[in-house]
Amino acid sequence: MGKVRPKKHPPTTDMTAMTDVAFLLLTFFIMTATFKSNEAAEITTPTSISGIKVPDENIMIISIDNSGKVFFGVDAQATRVGMLENIGQTKGISFSDTEKAKFAQNASFGFPLNQLKPWLALSNEQMSAVKQPGIPVDSTGVSELADWVYAARKANPQLRLALKGDQMAKFPVFKDVLTNLQSQNINKFNLITGTEQPPSGWTVD
Amino acid sequence: MAEIVDAGGGHGKGDGKVRAKKMSTRVDMTPMVDLGFLLITFFMLATTMSKPTSMTLNVPDKQEDKKEQQTEPLKASKVLTIFMGRNNDIWYLDGVAADDDNAEAALKKTTYGTGIRDVVFQSKTRINSQNPKDEAGNDPFVVVLKPTPVSTYRNMVDILDEMAITKSKRYALVDELTESEKKLLGDRVVPQPE
Repeated sequence: MGKVRPKKHPPTTDMTAMTDVAFLLLTFFIMTATFKSNEAAEITTPTSISGIKVPDENIMIISIDNSGKVFFGVDAQATRVGMLENIGQTKGISFSDTEKAKFAQNASFGFPLNQLKPWLALSNEQMSAVKQPGIPVDSTGVSELADWVYAARKANPQLRLALKGDQMAKFPVFKDVLTNLQSQNINKFNLITGTEQPPSGWTVD
Repeated sequence: MAEIVDAGGGHGKGDGKVRAKKMSTRVDMTPMVDLGFLLITFFMLATTMSKPTSMTLNVPDKQEDKKEQQTEPLKASKVLTIFMGRNNDIWYLDGVAADDDNAEAALKKTTYGTGIRDVVFQSKTRINSQNPKDEAGNDPFVVVLKPTPVSTYRNMVDILDEMAITKSKRYALVDELTESEKKLLGDRVVPQPE
């Protein structure tokens, strides 16, 4: 007669609760996700205590990276195409449909006008690998930023302007950008910054 | 892995009836949880959580074709002038003009953050108590912010932020240095070849 052994069950845990939590979180993250788009430059913005949110749509962003290169981008793809058509018209350059489609894929770009066509001729992988020289903004020499802003506003008059500067960008570049925009009679700017806690005891008026 | 646990029923009292084995309805959820957490991880990493904020900056119209407005010149005694220098240094003149004889001695250095905040608060209290309010009821205290070619964009945002923190309503961002200021600051604001 052998010993009576208790029947062996593999240890099981009830995972229903865990699954519930996991999928709840998953749903939350899917709903709130806004994906990082294809930006031309990595920019670390300075922080401020300002609590004004950057608008989500109808926005054009001028970015200044840490080496002082200037990039320009518009949020909606349709506006990007319209902007390219407008600037092509004023400068006498015609863009093909494939070039327009490729241009619309990029959230921001930094090329002088004469280098734009060769860049758009590249394949998608090469396009993102190329080092972008930035849009010329020299206040004394060649400057194309004002033309781009004009073209973008013509494509969508409701566009608001935001400036996104890297914290290490030198001030003279910012001044050049400002001069460019003031020539277009734009005197109100939104400076995009990170969020910072105001010092204790500080209240909004 | 999806095992069905044998419930072990069916051995009755020997009345001969064969009962169907009771099947457990338990399903192993481990793979589902795995997948769930994998997706959570992905979405957490792909999401940009902190939404950027923006600060507004209004600059005066250039007035190229308009007539220059006649305004009374600011008295230096009511003005705190802040120069943003190299390596996150701040030089400031509190109530002294740059062409004043003792400007060299009055030019002091401070840092961003609490350093400049204290300077602004002290200067504000002093100037507001020594001078009467103007006709419109504004405080006499005025800050002039002068970014120099060696300062960074971050310096400018920080100083504008400091204006918001100290609630200094009247400030001006002036990007050109006068001759006497250039002489006073000297090498401190001249870009060096890197």
